[in-house]
Amino acid sequence: MIALRLSGVTKTYNPRTRKSRTAVDSLDLEVPQGVIFGFLGPNGAGKTSTIKMVLDFIKPTSGTIEIFGHPCNAPSARSQIGYLPEQPYFHRFLTPLEVVSMHASLAGVGKGEIPARAEAAIDRAGISEYAKIPLSKLSKGLTQRVGIAQAIVGEPRLLILDEPTSGLDPLGRRHTRDLLSQLKREGKTVFLSSHILSEIEDLCDVVAVMRRGELVACGPPDHIRSEAPQVTIRAQRVDESAVESLRFAGATLQAGGDYYLITASCDSVYPVMSALERSGAVISDINTERESLEEAFLRLAA
Amino acid sequence: MKPVWIIAKATILENGRKHVFHVLCLLILAVLVGSTLLSIFTEGVKIKMLKDLCMTGILFGGAVLAIALGSSGIPGDVESRTIYPIIARPVTRMQYVAGKYLGTLLTVVYGLAAMGAIFGVLIFAFEGGPDWSLALVMLFAILEVAVVAAVATTMSVFATPATASVLTFMVFVAGSIKIGYFGEMLSKMQGGAAKLTMGVFYHLVPNLECFNIKSVLVHQEVVPVAYLIQVLAYGVICSALVLLIGATRFSAKEV
Repeated sequence: MIALRLSGVTKTYNPRTRKSRTAVDSLDLEVPQGVIFGFLGPNGAGKTSTIKMVLDFIKPTSGTIEIFGHPCNAPSARSQIGYLPEQPYFHRFLTPLEVVSMHASLAGVGKGEIPARAEAAIDRAGISEYAKIPLSKLSKGLTQRVGIAQAIVGEPRLLILDEPTSGLDPLGRRHTRDLLSQLKREGKTVFLSSHILSEIEDLCDVVAVMRRGELVACGPPDHIRSEAPQVTIRAQRVDESAVESLRFAGATLQAGGDYYLITASCDSVYPVMSALERSGAVISDINTERESLEEAFLRLAA
Repeated sequence: MKPVWIIAKATILENGRKHVFHVLCLLILAVLVGSTLLSIFTEGVKIKMLKDLCMTGILFGGAVLAIALGSSGIPGDVESRTIYPIIARPVTRMQYVAGKYLGTLLTVVYGLAAMGAIFGVLIFAFEGGPDWSLALVMLFAILEVAVVAAVATTMSVFATPATASVLTFMVFVAGSIKIGYFGEMLSKMQGGAAKLTMGVFYHLVPNLECFNIKSVLVHQEVVPVAYLIQVLAYGVICSALVLLIGATRFSAKEV
């Protein structure tokens, strides 16, 4: 089943004016149920606009958005969402327990269940000892965890988390990562927007990369990374004619004293090796370098 | 209705901690206490002056409180992003606006009730007994702030908090002199575009004069029950209509 489906979604701000700007352009996206879905892109790529459209904060100029088959603005869809905004802000005079209880009530949790559910959510967010301290006295990281608690208190099927580990210390980050993995095991779908690529790489089953409002890649991290795995060869005694052949084969060369570092994609390894063999070059080292998600992101988002 | 009440409760707690609420309540209190110092008048006039001055202070203070809190509630939530986790829930924008309005109104009612209680004690001290007409006058003061709070809430959806405050205050002033000043001016005007413009303005501005029945308290005037019921209905319908405009606009607004 598809948890979240965006079909041909476009968002143009100030349409039909000089200031017209398309933030999201014909976006088609499907988030399967039960996965952790990473949503990446540089600043201005259209991530926030997309999330705002999913949550019905802003209307798409065209296209449709469905949450578990319901239009995103329908109460039946909204009741299945838990949302953590980037740098969440709550009423400073309330305690975490009061904030989470309020959101439990808004999420439709029965009156009798609210205290237990709020306490459980606070416990899962790892802030039990701060449950009755006003938010004005809590740090940014602890407020972030209150945000996580309010997002999960209604036991939503789809969690939309915008930078969930922002402002957290390493322990907090680890705790949040573990919590997200646990939520996935419980069958929840997590839609995660983050700039911390190592986290996305470790956690996400599927990753989508946005650039200037368009989807440039979508799939498991391995697929995104493996688009251009590279081989680096260290060779000596490479003559001028071989250099030409290697460049012709698509390799990049970096001179380093009496040797060359030759970088080529997997597809061009055979022509590169043939050229080296023909020239009588001596190969001293071969490495297959797997592109990290960060490198893939930089390549795709550039 | 449940989300409306939850949002209203949070708004009451939030408003109750705002400096503007405490400062204005203290100012009204100062007017009440200051009024008792009017001992230069003869006894009969003194109590009338006290009632008139105190009621004016309560009505004006209540309206200013409604304007200050009503015009800053929704924009404040949007600016601080407190609104996002709330409207991501199965809460309609209309429910959100209604909750903010109800919270604002109840905060002002809380302040007015406290002022009314102190005023009642003062009357008791000066007259040697309670004046039950105070309850009726206070009820209509609440109706007035209900309309003013609705105007402030609606204005805040269209404009910045500062602009909304100024515009609502202008509506409050115009509404308070609607019949006595604008009504007379309109009746004296000759036909034409000016009269038409004045007529549109006259009918758009809510009539706040009708809620001011302090003469019942000051001069012990008798007001017909039918009139009171009419004013009550007018206050409720006017507030609901004004709020509906704001809620409809906010439903379509991108946040």
